[in-house]
Amino acid sequence: MEHRLLADVVSKLGKFPILSPKLTDAALSLITNPFTSDETLTSLLETLVAHLQNPDINHAILFSLLSALSNHHPRLRRRISAAAHAFVLLPTTATPTLPHALSLIEPAEPTPFDPFSDESMFLSLCFWQCVKTRRWTLRNVSKFHVRPSVFLTVLLGLTKDPYPYIREAALDGLVMLSNGGIVVDDRSLIECCYFRSVELLFDAENSVRCSAVRAVSAWGQLLVALSPDKTKADWSDALFVQLCLMVRDREMEIRVAAFSALGNIRTVSEDILMLTLAKKALSGTNEKTFPGQYTAKLFKLPATAAVFIFVNGLEDEFYQVRKSACHAVKKMTVLSAKFAGEVVYILMQILNEDSVVVRLQALQTLHHMAMHDHLKVEESHLDMFFGALVDGNALIRSAARKTIQLTKFQKLAMFRSCIDVLIKNLELCPQDEADVFYALYKIGRSHGKFVTKIIHEVSQELEPSPYGKLGFTKVRTIALLVLAISAPVSLERQISTIRPEIYSYAVTLLGRLTRGLGGLTDQNALLDYLSHCSRFTVGSTSESFGEVLDFHLKDSYFQLQKRSGKISSLFFLCQRNLPPHSCLLNFHVSETTCVEIVFQKIVDLWPLIQLGCMNEVIRTLRSWKEELQFFSLDSRPPAGVLVFALKYLHVIKLLGKAWACYFSKRNLHFNGIGILEALLCKTERRLKEMLHRFTGLSRGVEMHILELMLVTYTLRLPYGGGTIFFEDYTSKVNSVFCRVENLGKEESTQPFPFLIDLQNISHEIGNSRDGFIHKPELLQKSLNLFSLKQIVVSEKLDYLDAEIDVFDNDFQNPLPFISGLPVGIPFDITLHNISLGTRLWLAITDGEKSTQFVFLDLHEFGGCNEIRKSAFVAPFFRTPKVKHFVLKVSVVMECLSEGQHSKHLNGPKQNFIYLSNGKEIHLSTAEK
Amino acid sequence: MAIECLVLGAGQDVGKSCVIVKINGKSIMFDCGIHTGYQDHRRYPDFSLISANSGDFTDSLSCIIITHFHLDHIGALPYFTQVCGYNGPIYMTYPTKALAPIMLEDYRKLIFEGREEEKQFSSEDIAECMKKVTAVDLKQTIQVDKDLQIRAYYAGHVIGAAMFYAKVGDSAMVYTGDYNMTADRHLGAAQIDRLQLDLVITESTYATSYRDSKYVREREFLKVVHNCVAGGGKVLIPTFALGRAQELCMILDDYWEKTNLKVPIYFSADSFSGLTLQANMYYKILINWTSQKVKDTYTTRNPFDFKNVCSFDRSLIHAPGPCVLFATPAMISGFSLDVFKLWAPDERNLVTLTGYCGSGTIGRKLMVAKPPTRITLDDNVQLDVRCQIYQLSFSPHTDAKGIMDLVKFLSPKHVILVHGEKPKMVKLKEIIESELEIPCYHPANHETLHIPSTRRIEASASDAFLQSCLCPNFKFLKTDPRQDSELDDDSNNKRKMPQLQVCENRVAQGLLITLQKNQSRKVVTENELIDTIGTEIHEEKFAYCCPIYFPNSESRDISSFHLILFGKLSREFPDLNIQDCEDVIRIQSFVGSFCSKAKCPYRTDVSFQSVLDTVHFCCAWSMGDEELAWRVISTMKNLKLSDRIET
Repeated sequence: MEHRLLADVVSKLGKFPILSPKLTDAALSLITNPFTSDETLTSLLETLVAHLQNPDINHAILFSLLSALSNHHPRLRRRISAAAHAFVLLPTTATPTLPHALSLIEPAEPTPFDPFSDESMFLSLCFWQCVKTRRWTLRNVSKFHVRPSVFLTVLLGLTKDPYPYIREAALDGLVMLSNGGIVVDDRSLIECCYFRSVELLFDAENSVRCSAVRAVSAWGQLLVALSPDKTKADWSDALFVQLCLMVRDREMEIRVAAFSALGNIRTVSEDILMLTLAKKALSGTNEKTFPGQYTAKLFKLPATAAVFIFVNGLEDEFYQVRKSACHAVKKMTVLSAKFAGEVVYILMQILNEDSVVVRLQALQTLHHMAMHDHLKVEESHLDMFFGALVDGNALIRSAARKTIQLTKFQKLAMFRSCIDVLIKNLELCPQDEADVFYALYKIGRSHGKFVTKIIHEVSQELEPSPYGKLGFTKVRTIALLVLAISAPVSLERQISTIRPEIYSYAVTLLGRLTRGLGGLTDQNALLDYLSHCSRFTVGSTSESFGEVLDFHLKDSYFQLQKRSGKISSLFFLCQRNLPPHSCLLNFHVSETTCVEIVFQKIVDLWPLIQLGCMNEVIRTLRSWKEELQFFSLDSRPPAGVLVFALKYLHVIKLLGKAWACYFSKRNLHFNGIGILEALLCKTERRLKEMLHRFTGLSRGVEMHILELMLVTYTLRLPYGGGTIFFEDYTSKVNSVFCRVENLGKEESTQPFPFLIDLQNISHEIGNSRDGFIHKPELLQKSLNLFSLKQIVVSEKLDYLDAEIDVFDNDFQNPLPFISGLPVGIPFDITLHNISLGTRLWLAITDGEKSTQFVFLDLHEFGGCNEIRKSAFVAPFFRTPKVKHFVLKVSVVMECLSEGQHSKHLNGPKQNFIYLSNGKEIHLSTAEK
Repeated sequence: MAIECLVLGAGQDVGKSCVIVKINGKSIMFDCGIHTGYQDHRRYPDFSLISANSGDFTDSLSCIIITHFHLDHIGALPYFTQVCGYNGPIYMTYPTKALAPIMLEDYRKLIFEGREEEKQFSSEDIAECMKKVTAVDLKQTIQVDKDLQIRAYYAGHVIGAAMFYAKVGDSAMVYTGDYNMTADRHLGAAQIDRLQLDLVITESTYATSYRDSKYVREREFLKVVHNCVAGGGKVLIPTFALGRAQELCMILDDYWEKTNLKVPIYFSADSFSGLTLQANMYYKILINWTSQKVKDTYTTRNPFDFKNVCSFDRSLIHAPGPCVLFATPAMISGFSLDVFKLWAPDERNLVTLTGYCGSGTIGRKLMVAKPPTRITLDDNVQLDVRCQIYQLSFSPHTDAKGIMDLVKFLSPKHVILVHGEKPKMVKLKEIIESELEIPCYHPANHETLHIPSTRRIEASASDAFLQSCLCPNFKFLKTDPRQDSELDDDSNNKRKMPQLQVCENRVAQGLLITLQKNQSRKVVTENELIDTIGTEIHEEKFAYCCPIYFPNSESRDISSFHLILFGKLSREFPDLNIQDCEDVIRIQSFVGSFCSKAKCPYRTDVSFQSVLDTVHFCCAWSMGDEELAWRVISTMKNLKLSDRIET
């Protein structure tokens, strides 16, 4: 049968090249039948391909058969693609058949001539009289690789097409172009695209309007971005109001699209935002107009178009619109606290919604508001708000808890009802236990006073039963215990007077509690904490937990000192697992106190390092680092003290690793000295940075850093090998000693024992000829004298920092250059805390080959010491003969006090340090 | 052509909505309502105005369209069909057709029962009338006859309410009926396409008021009701049986469920026809006509299955303790009046007034009253009102913003306001005219308006024109940036348009010509124009023979002089394309060459000097380049000696 059909098709086609319906059906049956043999398919394919050349045949049918073949038998695709490709290249090929052929070409197929890059073909398809061809081309515009200018002109022109589907596709194409990162610097062209899209917001066809909303949003944002700073805000408002108009469209999809477009707008002025919640236009905004279009005929856009839109959107009958509006509100609440304060009521109402997605979105919006500290909960909101906590849907409950954690309640009654609802949540949904505990703990911590009051009131409930049994079968009791735990680490500096017994009760529930507070601490720490709290009498818990904990630590340390060198006690210390305590602490201290505590406690780590318990140490350091980073989230740019502390932690980590490496000799030989070398190099660099990148370091701190530097050098020496190293060492050590001496002169501080010893040794060795190499035991002895010191950093520590930016440059948007000729690179440079006397350079590195320096004249920078800004164009001279290359640029600072000379010609005379991370700049040959 | 619009009712008034619109020869009656405020002939629209001559309504009207089942929109229909004898087609939506007879029957009983002498139509009449009705679905296009098309769009307002679109030839209009632009608890917002319209006739009940958010309204209502029942009071909610009642029921039922209130809510069954009993049942069936929100929840639960609502028995009026009662009718008469009389003197009780109350009704009196007060029920009965009165802002009508939104969305060429109070209409009219620049009217009853409409001309098209229409043919125009106003400088309504604009020629460019032979019309392309009308091109040109002072002109030949001139012009006008071919200088349409004619007709200055040192240069140009031509001429005239030396 198969062969007969094939023969039939082949012979009939051979005789009369007409694809009759019968013939087509026969061919199609062969194609779709999964049992058709490969040979048959191949010969059918060849027959069809052979007929492609025939100008009389119906190509549409032929291509539909080929397309079926391609879909059913992917392995034949290459052949079909090649045939289609050949067909496209034929001069006789008629334009209407091109889309069929082009859609069969595999885009991945490497071909010498890519039809998709053929501009003339693209244009002929776009200007073809048949609407279907135009539509296909526009819908597949992403496949073509023609010049962006051609794309833009054609798409823009076709937005005027009388056929709505062409207009729609052209608008979609414009959106795609703007999203594809096309670079248009012609403002009039962008304006044209924007206003043309705006015009189509008034199209009669729904789908066109919908696409127009997206296009207006995309091009509007380009327009805003390209506007000068003076008018940027106005253009952004204009775009906002223009989109507001579409929120009232009678078509649901358009409303959804309009709201999601509104959500993408980055800045809106507050008065416009307030209009969106106002019933009527407010006086003052009445007359304000923007460039845009109000109706199909009115080209003046009044601000009043924004009136009430968010309220309308949030009470829309379609959940899609409500959700989209909620999402847009989320973005807007960040912009204005006033707006957030007004909209919160409606959002609370939405928590009563039927639709889960909308409720969830509303909660996410509230959470977002809380994160930005724009959420003010009032008593009248509570019903709705707490209703979400006992919602039937787990997602909603979880989102509600997340929001509640960040909420601040003004009144005890509000807080009390919040706790009650959380407990109710726990009773109704035991599966939420862990999460509810977490929420209770978090919220308790931010409401210390209330917690203490509540716990006092319910302390009777927390007592064991009269038979002395610690039952705690009631979830309420457990929940209250969790609340009690949170009190001592409250964010408020609040005297906690919760009876210690309560903490001992909590110990019995350790497992369950740990599960809930897992994100904050681990079981051991919790146990530690609870047993600690339970040990104190009412009076002594009045100390804040931080101090207590600190004291506690010191206590352990004294024990350690007493039995110095004994592993057992250290092991005990390790087991106590220091870090998580501080986790519990992190909220009730300010950043400086936190830094102080870290500096205080880091001293205790040195014995651990000496013993080689690096895992423990690293874990501790990491957790401290996380805590410090938590603070750095709040302040931008982070305060100098914080940066210093972070860098110090890093150095200690590196040094600790190096130390461990150095003293475990076996390990060292096994791994080679490369690791040690690398670690010490890094440490040295970091220390140098610490010395130079901070102003306002106290002498003690500076001395300590120098001491650390000496430790680094000393560790490096015995394994550095060779006399060159030795010379290098001596010069470095001497310069450090020089500085130490200077410091000592200025201020009479007691020099550290390690320093004295090392100084003696170097004197001793300096006189002998064979140097340090033969005195490793002497060095080791002096190293053992070293210990970390508690340093005190003044709050006025300034961190020298620089940021480099090159506007709109990444690997997709390279800067153009002509090889062999210099290229100007426009930089935006921001400097922090740099005084005028500093010598700064721009180091431009081309791969690893060479570095070119450009001097930065600070007088050309605007601003003051705290922050200076400048935009300038730096030349790069040696452009290589390649199509594409990457430069790495950073700001470097000469260290004037170093006294060592740099080898760079036309660059810094002294040694330098980097002030910024290397910024990559992509360049590519300019198109001709 | 014009659209003729005769307002028979609801012109500067609320009640007896009835508008006759005549488009391209077709007459349509939109709504046929009754005025509940009147008991005499003023109750009905004055139908005699429809066909002053023939008296035959069936011939005069192409069809009747009823937007919804409220009596002020449908009340007079049985009278018009059965008593006045209209026999043509009537269109309304399915729910309206289902609910209208109940409403009409309710009304008939209330008004005519027992007053045989006043009886206008009977139950049979209603039934007969409804038989003539054709029910339509939303967005279903009905071809009433060869020329007239109508289509219904969802209007919100009450269940089954629709806006109607009517089109005859190229003239199209929308009659909105009553509508709501925002969704409420049970009904959706009006939904309509963006249509090309000559006229929109819109209701304007709340032409000047702006409504608060739904959430605020609901919260206030619940607070008032809760406070009343918590204080042991009774809440009377006089309302229409269909519409608001269901919405308020939904809100209360929901609230009762959440707060676990045990106070009974009654839905009065004590009406003449038991309309209220059926009302909820109809809502349960007609889910498809409710809001999207109801439809979404319908899959899990019918929101009209109220858990806390039970039917009312008359004996319960005197029952002690708090309760909430929905009683018909809305403007307090009949049953709701009976209850009101009993409950009003107690200050713990509450009466909530929903929506619009017609003038003269007790509802209206209460709206303006401040308890404790005394109101007159009829001639000799007065009632002490001590209870609280709360005016609900729930209304099924759209507010001013909604009307503006709809008008803006539809952007018709003209707007007519009906179904509203005159002073408010005037204000709204002003806003529409100033803000949207659409002419707006608010005719009084019995007034006729003539509105120009789209003119339709049949014309054939030439092949070349058709061909040119097929392919895209756009170009970009760049406007002068000087006209571009600054961002904040558009106080004088200057159009802020981009410098660059797209212009699609095939849509814009065609010429409509009327052929003299047979008065037929044809659209042709620009190129074909001359051939089609069989004339020649006449072009207007300017010419001037310009004398140029040129010493020793005899000694030089013409071509070197030509070179000098060309050089000078090229320097002066570097951005122009100056062509120099065969002793002729061309700049755009400007053409100039040496004139050897002694008596050139374009020569104006005949001087003696010309014989010696002046040569003449004869120039011609077309009108568009006039400015350029004079600049060129003045340059040539100022030819200096230095120019010559250079060359």
